Amino acid sequence: MKKLLILLVVLLALGLAACAPAEQDETFELALITDIGTIDDKSFNQGAWEGLKQYAEEKDISYKYYQPTDKSTDAYVAAIDLAVENGAKVIVTPGFLFEPAIFKAQDLYPNVKFVLLDGFPQDGTYTEFRIEDNVYSVFYAEEQVGFLAGYAAVKDGFTNLGFMGGMAVPAVVRFGYGFVQGVNYAAAEMGVNVTLKYKYLGGFGPSADYQTEAATWFQGGVQVIFAAAGGAGNSVMAAAEANNGKVIGVDIDQKGESTTVITSALKGLGISVYDALVDYYAGNFKGGESVSLGVEVDGVSLPNDFSRFTTFNKAAYDAIFAKLVANTDNIRTNIKKDTDVTSASELPVTNVTVEVIG
Amino acid sequence: MTLSTFYFLVQQTMFYSIPLLIVALGGMYSERSGVVNIALEGIMIMGAFISLFFMNRMQSSMSGQWLLVLSMLIAAGSGMILSFFHAFASINMKANQVISGTALNLFAPAFAIFTARMLIGVQQVTFMNTYRIPLVPYLSSIPILGDLLFKNTYITTFVGFAILAVATIVLYKTRFGLRLRACGEHPQAADAAGVNVKKMRYIGVLISGALAGLGGLVLMVPVTTAFDGQVGGYGFLALAVLIFGQWRPRRILFAAFFFGLMKTISAAYTGIPILLALGIPSYMFKMMPYLATIIVLTFTSKKSAAPKAAGEPYDAGKR
Repeated sequence: MKKLLILLVVLLALGLAACAPAEQDETFELALITDIGTIDDKSFNQGAWEGLKQYAEEKDISYKYYQPTDKSTDAYVAAIDLAVENGAKVIVTPGFLFEPAIFKAQDLYPNVKFVLLDGFPQDGTYTEFRIEDNVYSVFYAEEQVGFLAGYAAVKDGFTNLGFMGGMAVPAVVRFGYGFVQGVNYAAAEMGVNVTLKYKYLGGFGPSADYQTEAATWFQGGVQVIFAAAGGAGNSVMAAAEANNGKVIGVDIDQKGESTTVITSALKGLGISVYDALVDYYAGNFKGGESVSLGVEVDGVSLPNDFSRFTTFNKAAYDAIFAKLVANTDNIRTNIKKDTDVTSASELPVTNVTVEVIG
Repeated sequence: MTLSTFYFLVQQTMFYSIPLLIVALGGMYSERSGVVNIALEGIMIMGAFISLFFMNRMQSSMSGQWLLVLSMLIAAGSGMILSFFHAFASINMKANQVISGTALNLFAPAFAIFTARMLIGVQQVTFMNTYRIPLVPYLSSIPILGDLLFKNTYITTFVGFAILAVATIVLYKTRFGLRLRACGEHPQAADAAGVNVKKMRYIGVLISGALAGLGGLVLMVPVTTAFDGQVGGYGFLALAVLIFGQWRPRRILFAAFFFGLMKTISAAYTGIPILLALGIPSYMFKMMPYLATIIVLTFTSKKSAAPKAAGEPYDAGKR
């Protein structure tokens, strides 16, 4: 028994000796914590991760991502604790789900900087909003790029359109509202009337249900669906392939995922994370600020490839893009956002019949 | 509702019903031999993952039906390999079959995601769908039946029906089928009559693995362009179909189509004006297939025909 104990102690000591220095050496200066997605979700988390990785590799800075154990504020805070323990100086948190976690963490770790994408720190009940000097909150003007996508589709000759959002979360709602208004703007410009089906699917993963639903829409005459739904968009693409339909992708350029994708509503996630890190290392981190990145700073755009459109082209895109940037006739500031109306059916439209499906 | 909408709905129903049918028939082989297989979900994931990964690698050099057939064989093979672990644990080690099945259900998605990340850097395995058959020559011109079965279809649909036909014959018309059923009802009696119970159970579980693996591929191909390490609970749905179908091939067919139709309607109603005009909330439509199952099972469970020895490790000394 005694021998066994000694053996155990020796082994433990050896184990500790082997582990301890390794733990101290391994620090990661830049960290990203994922929300419900993963760093390769071809969407939100991936975009942010690519920006962080690019900067870190260019400047040879250590970096790492953390995946919380579940999607709760406690798990997010625990992941932040772990990242800080591992030596993180800047932590990127993509997604509004991080709002309450950052609300806590900004006080817990005043020396650590946080880049919160798509959110503003709040206490979890939307009663207390507060941003400290170590938090930079970034929003994207999804409604502007949704507008561009809708405008492009109608200008290309589509008259029967659809919108499928993953869930009614703020960013997806902004995409949808912008899409409806862009469709309306183009239809009014051309003097035509168009129809639009509008629906939140209830999930962000591929599923036979979403394929069936999209297939039914295409069968019923819908020509193009804007799928702001992450992986569920792949099911919409599968339906489009089988039913001669078209799809507008989201977040990153999805044209490689299916030949039916005519364009994608891009968010400059990577660029904004990259820029935030550049600012940090230059000593002017924009702490305490909350910005909304739109067309005027290339925060959102359509990809620079118009080959899958029939009539819409780069010249037409540049024209509408310039109009948005210049805010001609208040075109940009007139776009209604998620906070302006409560349902897509309340959007002020003249030339589009919106059918909201609950 | 026009006739073409009806045809479209039936074609769409196949995307749900055929994989459910194949996987439930797989479950039937296993349970009829006396081994409960709740690992169907995990095996589906494994089959879909390995075969779609194969497709992802091969599609630059080949496409069309031959690639699909090859992928189907690979899906069945990888399902069989995974189910071997379940067979070993529950037959040789006499382990609790539910726990061993759960272990595979936990293992498969983790394996798929981990391996995909290691090999291609991302979790999603993308693939090109070049397998859809818009019109089957000659057969599609048959009135009604042609529209229902031979338009906008996949060879997997016919494979599914073939598996059903084979299962019906094997189970009821062959010596092997009788022995398999005996092992699930009263293995001691079968043993006394000279049947090798262990061998029969191994065969039952391995067939179920092959069919579940195949079912995973059959489910994913028509409905997405990227596999994400999950099959959305269809393995468990197939278990429900198996129970609903009272462990009998023809009833399983009926149950699979009942489920498929319910799922189709609940997903497709937004595109069908009359159903949409009813104004029923989408939650009700989504609940329908499950609600119907609960109701039907409540009324039929008294006559449940589960194999009597399913779930029990074989103990030769027990009487």
